[in-house]
Order: sequence, then C-alpha cells, then structure tokens
Amino acid sequence: MRAAPILTLALAAAPAPAQTQQPMLAGKAVFGEKCGMCHRADGMGTGLLARRVDPKVAELEKRADLTTDYVRVAVRTGIGNMPWLSRGEVSDRQLDAIASYLAKDGK
Amino acid sequence: MSPVYPPGLTPAVFARALAAFERIVGAEAVFAAPEDRDTYADKFAIDDSRHRALAGLAPTSAAQVQAIVRIANEFRIPLWPISRGKNLGYGYAAPELAGSVVVDLSRMKGIEIDVENGVATLEPGVGFYDLYDYLQKRKIPLWLSVPGNSWGSVIGNALDRGIGYTPYGENTSKLCGLEVVLPDGDLVRTGMGAATGAPTWGLYRYGFGPAWDQMFVQSNFGIVTKANIWLMTEPEQVRGMDVEMEAIEDLAPLIDTIGALRREGVLQQSPTIGNWLRAANILSTRSDWVRDGAPLTDDVITAIRKKFGLGWWGVSLRLYGRSAVTDATYPILEQAMRAITPLSIKPTLWRRGDPIAPGQGGWMGVPMTFPMQNANWFGGRGGHLGFSPIMPQSGRLALEQFRRNLSRYHEYGFDPQMSFAFGERNLINVNAVLLNKDDPAFMKKVDPFMRAMIVDAKAHGYVEYRAHLDYMDAIASTYDFNDHALLRLNERVKNALDPKGILAPGKSGIWPKAYAPERGK
Repeated sequence: MRAAPILTLALAAAPAPAQTQQPMLAGKAVFGEKCGMCHRADGMGTGLLARRVDPKVAELEKRADLTTDYVRVAVRTGIGNMPWLSRGEVSDRQLDAIASYLAKDGK
Repeated sequence: MSPVYPPGLTPAVFARALAAFERIVGAEAVFAAPEDRDTYADKFAIDDSRHRALAGLAPTSAAQVQAIVRIANEFRIPLWPISRGKNLGYGYAAPELAGSVVVDLSRMKGIEIDVENGVATLEPGVGFYDLYDYLQKRKIPLWLSVPGNSWGSVIGNALDRGIGYTPYGENTSKLCGLEVVLPDGDLVRTGMGAATGAPTWGLYRYGFGPAWDQMFVQSNFGIVTKANIWLMTEPEQVRGMDVEMEAIEDLAPLIDTIGALRREGVLQQSPTIGNWLRAANILSTRSDWVRDGAPLTDDVITAIRKKFGLGWWGVSLRLYGRSAVTDATYPILEQAMRAITPLSIKPTLWRRGDPIAPGQGGWMGVPMTFPMQNANWFGGRGGHLGFSPIMPQSGRLALEQFRRNLSRYHEYGFDPQMSFAFGERNLINVNAVLLNKDDPAFMKKVDPFMRAMIVDAKAHGYVEYRAHLDYMDAIASTYDFNDHALLRLNERVKNALDPKGILAPGKSGIWPKAYAPERGK
C-alpha cells in the first residue's frame, strides 16, 4: 500500500488566516456541519484514516497531534483521497474555528 | 497554475467584472486567488488541470444570482453554477469550459418543510446531511432518498438525476416546482409556483400549459435557486433481505425476478445489484490481495468473496410501510428469491423507533459517505469515473452487457466495479472506473478505455444518462436520431434564451453559438 502523504504537507503553502474582528465561531458545531459527515463515526475519512493511524484516533476529534496550520492546508489543498474545499463552502472564518477546535487551542 | 481565461475575455475586462461582482456579493464572497481556483478543480478527474475555473462567487440569494447573471452578460463572462459541487465521478465543482466563473450556491441553505404534505422547499446549498439534521432535530417523520455519496446537495443531485435506494429513489421524479434565474436575469417559478400565492407549488407538478421542470435538469437554460422535492413518510416498518448470488450467470434471473416484482408493485424501492468489488473496495485495498499490478485472478476473487461473505452479485431488497402489509408481502418476496437459488438470504427488519445499524442507513434515508472509500482501492491517490448507460430491464441483455464490459476491463487491466440499478422500467449499468492517480501509465489508459466503453454500448443502442465533463460531448453525440435533432433543438433553445452563451457553455454537450468552437476540446 502506498502511504498517503498525511504528514508531509508543505505548510508554506497555507493560505493566510482570515483577518477578522468577529468573534470565533463554535468550532465543534462548524466541524459537525462541514466535516462530520466524513470525519465522525462511519464516515469515509474515518474509515480511510483507520488504515493509516491508530483506529482509536481515526476520528479527527480524537486526535491530539493536529495543528491549526495542518488543518487549514488539508482543507484547502485536499489530502489523500479527500478533495479540497473552497472558501465558498467553508469560509476562512469557519476554517479558523474548525482548525482551532481540532488543534485543541487553549485546552 | 496561471489563470486560464475563456475565449474572448481579457484580464482587464475580467478585473472590471470582478469589481462589479464584488459590489453584489461583497469582497468576502469573491474568490479569485490561485488557491481559490484550485479548490474548484476536479480531484477525481483523469487530468485535474483541465476544466479550470477562473474564480468563484458565493451568492446568498436569488436576487444576487440575478445580478450576477446580468453582469456576466454585460462583460461576457461564462458562468458555471454548482449547488454544492460534490458530483464526484462526474466533475466535482469544475466547469466544462475552462475559464468559467463558478457560481457557488453552497451558502444558499434555506429549508422549509411542509410536514403534512411531505414537501421540502430547499435552496441548492442544502446538503443531505443538512436536511437530515434539520428533520431529526425537529423530530419530523419524513425520510430522505440518499445517494451513495451523500456529501452533496439534495437539489443538485435531483438536478443531475441522481438515485437513491428507497421507494423515492428516482430523485429527479420527486421534484415538484422550481425557482429559476434565466440567462437574462429574469426569475421564473415553474408549475403552480407561477400563480402568485398558490399553496400548491409543491403539490402539483404541471401547472397550466407546458411544464418546464425537466427543462432545467442537466441543462444550461437557467440557475435553479429553489426547488420543492417530495419526501417519503417514515414507515412503520422496513422488512427485507440482503441477497447474495453465487455465479456470474445468476445476474440474469436476479434481474428478471426483481424486475417482475417491481412491475407488479410487490417491490417498490429502487434496488441496485452490485458485484463483489463494489463491496470489497470499500472494505479493503487492492494490495491486501495482490502485489502491485498483478491481476485479480479467479482464485483471488474467490478469496475476497470468502473473506467478506460475498456472492458474485449482491442486492439489498426492502419492503416499506405498515407492519401488516410488509409482513404479508415478505413471504412473496422470499419465495420469488429462493426460486432462483441464491447463495444466501439474510433477512433484515427495522421497526419505527429501532436504531439504524451502521451500513443500513442507505435504505432508510440516512446520509452516508463511507462508499467513497472505494477511491482508496489502490492505496494512494485515487478516484473514480462514472460510466452509466441506460438499458432495458432484461437479465439476458444485462448479462451480455456485463460480459462485454468485463472483456474491456481485462483488455485494459482494470478492475471491474459494476452494478445494475433499477429505474422505473430501465436499468442503469453503473460502472465506477477506479483510478490510480499515482500511476501515470495506468492513468493514460483511462480515457481510451472510457471511449471504448461508450462505443461498445452505443453499438447496442445503450447511451449514458449522465456523464463526466470529459465525456459530455461524446455522450451528446450518441443521441443521434435524425442527425442529432435533439441536440439541435437544445441548442436552438439555448441560443434563444442565452444569446451571449454565458450560462454553463458545454453542459451536457449543449454549446451556445458564442463558444461553439470549444465543442469537443
């Protein structure tokens, strides 16, 4: 099996986070709406990640090694079999909330 | 990657158009950076550098869509509307004509439910998960008809004639009234919606005079900004069986038996018969079975089937409704299926209030994404392309089609994921051509394979109901009665409604005069 490049993203390619004065969105809720279909139980992303990481942490919300930059790049450039997501679908502000939630900022 | 401009558009004119678009939707809803263009490319394409968008726009209302269309006419900007852009296998969010501006409707998420009549009035950005969550949160007992990839838009799927697996599985036939922005920016409502204030927009399809709903399906005659779609009432019970058949030849009696039960009305859902690979490529990767490039021999196929308990063919059959009715019908279904000596029959039963088991949701309106794990069959970067000709509901003809297809798969060294989906009176022979984008030699064979499949099917009168961007012109050309009279009609309508050809040029092979030289490129 070819390893998908899950740990070798070029972080330099990360788009700049949105400059906003608006309050941070609720990351868990935004994650649920935008990502949950693939990255919670029985989703495509969870199923595929279970082949590459410890299945106990195949759901992204259970991971402890995600950084905000990593999440931003994965969403905008795609990763493995996951397609990229546009700013039309996930705004920069929403992506900030998702990335902070998954990176467990402040926790 | 440098921006690709459509024919006749200069960067200076485009900059003025972008400024005009920004005045309509705001700068935060105009996406024209190189990274933005990348996000509208088709990851599952043979070559995702083709069909490049020039920018994206994210309106939030029909009024904004009208204004966008008027600006596009003023500056001659080709637009490519998407609902959510999740049409994986057929083009994702990418436009047919490179340099088009994507009108990304994914922020239009309005939901209204007429619970009593089972009608959802939806904007195109509403995904299957959005609608499912909305209904669940409010405990509304209505069910969706979900496709195998439920990531996308409910309306977008119906507008591309996607299918589900319940009695409401032919999704486009459940549309009842659309709101559409025409290529000149006018706004029209079809059916009863044409009568201001009529409470019957979502209840009667046809209105008075010509009925236009299907005119806006798979077409480039308008941008649908709202639509009514019928939802089924949650049944008291779902009773059925998962059936496995041992041999390749069992496809014929399986189709003939199910087809007869459907025409009689015993079976009212839309089942899909799939081969062993359709299940195995979700549950495993190719390298679990053979080394790189080695063929899947009969012994390997036998091992895969044994591991997962699969027949050569499998199908899930479900009866929906009152317990008394489905309990009475089940023995009839069982008797008919046992008569064709299946490898196994596994009964299933769900009663209202029961939890829905993982993997069973597709038959009960629960959205799913796990079937897309087939994109990982080769272990690395993958994808799939759809090739889906329409056929008669005949076991003999389906078996012949399968054998022809299989010989092509073997000739090109591809693995055959094949299924036969039941329509009202037709079959759809769905081939998901699995891609290995880490292998350039492999990828070079995909386009010749696809074109050979198109020619093979056409030789028997079978043509596709839906096509990837790369094959829209090829498929349109197979509809060739009277020197392509249907295509000529479509293009007469197109040129009348859209004289500057700004709306989705090339969609379904329909090219306006302004971009006619782009046909076939």
